[in-house]
Amino acid sequence: MALRVPLTHVRGKTLLGSPAVRKASQHQVLRISAADEAQVQKVKELEDLEHLQLDFWRGPGQPGSPIDVRVPFPSIQAVKAFLEAHGLGYTIMIEDVQSLLDEEQEQMFAFQARSRSTDTFNYATYHTLEEIYGFMDLLVAEHPQLVSKLQIGNTYEGRPIYVLKFSTGGNNRPAIWIDTGIHSREWVTQASGVWFAKKITQDYGQDLTLTAILDSMDIFLEIVTNPDGFAFTHSKNRMWRKTRSLTPGSSCVGVDPNRNWDAGFGMPGASSNPCTDTYRGKFANSEVEVKSIVDFVKSHGNIKAFVSIHSYSQLLLYPYGYKAEPAPNRDELDQLAKSAVTALASLYGTKFKYGSIIKTIYQASGSTIDWTYSQGIKYSFTFELRDTGRYGFLLPASQIVPTAQETWLALRTIMEYTLNHPY
Amino acid sequence: MQRREAGSRTGLGARRRVAAGKSCSLGEGVSIAPLVPCQRSRGWTSPAPRRGGAAASRHRAGKLGPGRSGSGAGRRGPGAGSSAGRARPGRTRAPGSGPPRGRRGVARRGLISSSAGAAHLEPVRRTPRPPASMPPRLQPPPASGTGRPRAAVLPLALLLSLALQGVAAAPAGAGEPEDSLRRQDPELPRGLLEQAARAALHFVNFRAGSPSTLRVLADVLEGRARVNPKKECQVDLVFTTDRYNPEEGEERLGKCSARVFFRNQKPRPAINVTCTRLIEKNKRQQEDYLLYKHMKQLKTPLDVVSIPDSHGHIDPSLRPIWDLAFLGGSYVMWEKTTQFLHYYMAQLSSVNQWKTNDDAIDFDYTVLLHEFSTQEIIPCRIHLVWYPGKPLKVKYHCQELQTPEASGTEEGSAVAPTELNNF
Repeated sequence: MALRVPLTHVRGKTLLGSPAVRKASQHQVLRISAADEAQVQKVKELEDLEHLQLDFWRGPGQPGSPIDVRVPFPSIQAVKAFLEAHGLGYTIMIEDVQSLLDEEQEQMFAFQARSRSTDTFNYATYHTLEEIYGFMDLLVAEHPQLVSKLQIGNTYEGRPIYVLKFSTGGNNRPAIWIDTGIHSREWVTQASGVWFAKKITQDYGQDLTLTAILDSMDIFLEIVTNPDGFAFTHSKNRMWRKTRSLTPGSSCVGVDPNRNWDAGFGMPGASSNPCTDTYRGKFANSEVEVKSIVDFVKSHGNIKAFVSIHSYSQLLLYPYGYKAEPAPNRDELDQLAKSAVTALASLYGTKFKYGSIIKTIYQASGSTIDWTYSQGIKYSFTFELRDTGRYGFLLPASQIVPTAQETWLALRTIMEYTLNHPY
Repeated sequence: MQRREAGSRTGLGARRRVAAGKSCSLGEGVSIAPLVPCQRSRGWTSPAPRRGGAAASRHRAGKLGPGRSGSGAGRRGPGAGSSAGRARPGRTRAPGSGPPRGRRGVARRGLISSSAGAAHLEPVRRTPRPPASMPPRLQPPPASGTGRPRAAVLPLALLLSLALQGVAAAPAGAGEPEDSLRRQDPELPRGLLEQAARAALHFVNFRAGSPSTLRVLADVLEGRARVNPKKECQVDLVFTTDRYNPEEGEERLGKCSARVFFRNQKPRPAINVTCTRLIEKNKRQQEDYLLYKHMKQLKTPLDVVSIPDSHGHIDPSLRPIWDLAFLGGSYVMWEKTTQFLHYYMAQLSSVNQWKTNDDAIDFDYTVLLHEFSTQEIIPCRIHLVWYPGKPLKVKYHCQELQTPEASGTEEGSAVAPTELNNF
């Protein structure tokens, strides 16, 4: 239940973290409106009745100022009778204080728990940027032989951009790249990325396929590909998609990072209007979040498969987005996509469509995998995860793990294929 | 169960049966002209597969018989004022000119209880633009509605016998040679059938006026499309539906046949649709009434900020509010859907008013619509009046594109309607 009362009140009044939290079941919080001085006086009279055990969160003051009071269950009837008898208007702000406290306790405990290990990390909930970055550090600390954290740049607003590298050795081995969260509002993708990271560490040495992959190849995983946007979805606007860069000459903010790549840039399939959600930017790679990846890919030089993960729509897409001409290895990509979505569906029956971007959804220029493909990365794919519009971006947290699990099967299929088809 | 949630909602894995070469008279003096695939959404550059023949470039202007463009047996609801209310005379800036602020959609305010979707709209003035550089911007129609209800219904059998063809009107244009050589039964531009199905479903949901028996798209079984020289697009299709709120273990696929007439980017596609009953009428009324009683018991003012919350959670006690909001949203989404643009309801971002005096539920709220393919989030203020069993009364006003800082926040910056009709 979403409530407008500032939670600081609650925190101030309870013994959070202590085992002896007073039960506040069916305690209600009332907001009383006192229209004039006489009414304010009446409320003060109420205050003086100690046996009622009233807890004023916002005490009587000026007429017209709201008065908030927590009323223990035994006193509720009496208080309401009093208010009504004296013509004092009131509303019930919180029906049941206890449930609010419980919820907050849970969150606090979860907060505490997550800082201990990746085994107690809650994968079935959405996390903040800080929590995800904290998770990364934990994972590296727990698996120093397998996982390392690279910083590939800084965002527009100065946040570090991290990539996890999973490697069992070698020198610049052929590699697979996975990124999630390039569009910040697509929360199930970052959450899935966190799950993938953990999954890799669990499965190495356990799962034959993954072990074979990691014995010859490296995996790079960028979980929060658009940190500024992600922070903004937490703080201000849950529906924010783009980066947070300022555009000179416009009051509008942000560039669509999936239209900013140097592939068909400027062609139909993106917007030139900075106020739109598919704004391509002033020039290709104008966004540091994009440029960082470009630089990384170029300097690495040995990436063999590139997967960029979005939501929603349940699709698996391959190039091109900016032109209708089929990709040279289109048939191979189509076959591989088919295998991947079949594997995905095997778990929960989730159906994905697949095809080239332009034929499956719409023309899109300057998109990630068109560029990576142009760099010779033959196996370039974009996912659109759950769902198909019922919840859209606001996918219930309970679906995070199932989504990640099924998507992992598709990823594994692609990675295995890449391993078996070196080039 | 996850499976249901994820897998069964859309036209994924749709089978499209093709009966080659059949022409069909629809019994109203209109025979099927050689078909031209409908114009693709912005930026779809690949033209239809070609077939030789001079006849292809000339075809009937898609004249529709008298009973054609209406919808089901609607009636003006009680207290309906003028048929369509006043569309707000917008700022009709020619697209592409002026400062980089787009115009979004149609600002529309109308009193509609139930009626056909065949309002006559003024022709839209649009400066020609390269397709797909920007989402098409619409001029608001100065007058709407002579919308009149239609009782005409296409028999399912008739629709089932319609052919699926795609023929280019003229040769020329950059092609996809591969497509034209593919098969005798070239596919329709992917997505158009789903588009039509969505529009039809929004309309079905709106007309049913039942928040407890909303439907979503399951699969498109088959369809065909044709376009006239005015680039209006007629789609005939058959699709299956699921319950929006599936009950445990219940898997009831309804089936609908529809004719959808898209007016080349003008809103308010004309819909003619019949569906098999998903739920028996009595049961539906029962469920609606239960919902209604539940809603009447909710404490006002509703302390609701957004549904779902950022984590996709909807408190079960608030679920009916979402359903009712979705019902009102269906009206809006129906009207706004074109052959290029479609919508999902992303979030109920604020409740402005919730009244249940006298008998009906009087609900004034703001939703965020997610627009494809522009990816924009559009706040729409909706005001509806609902009573179980009675036609839904809806008015709405969707917001124009504006600075991202202000838009999309929980409170929304939807402009308060300055005129409120009496229903």
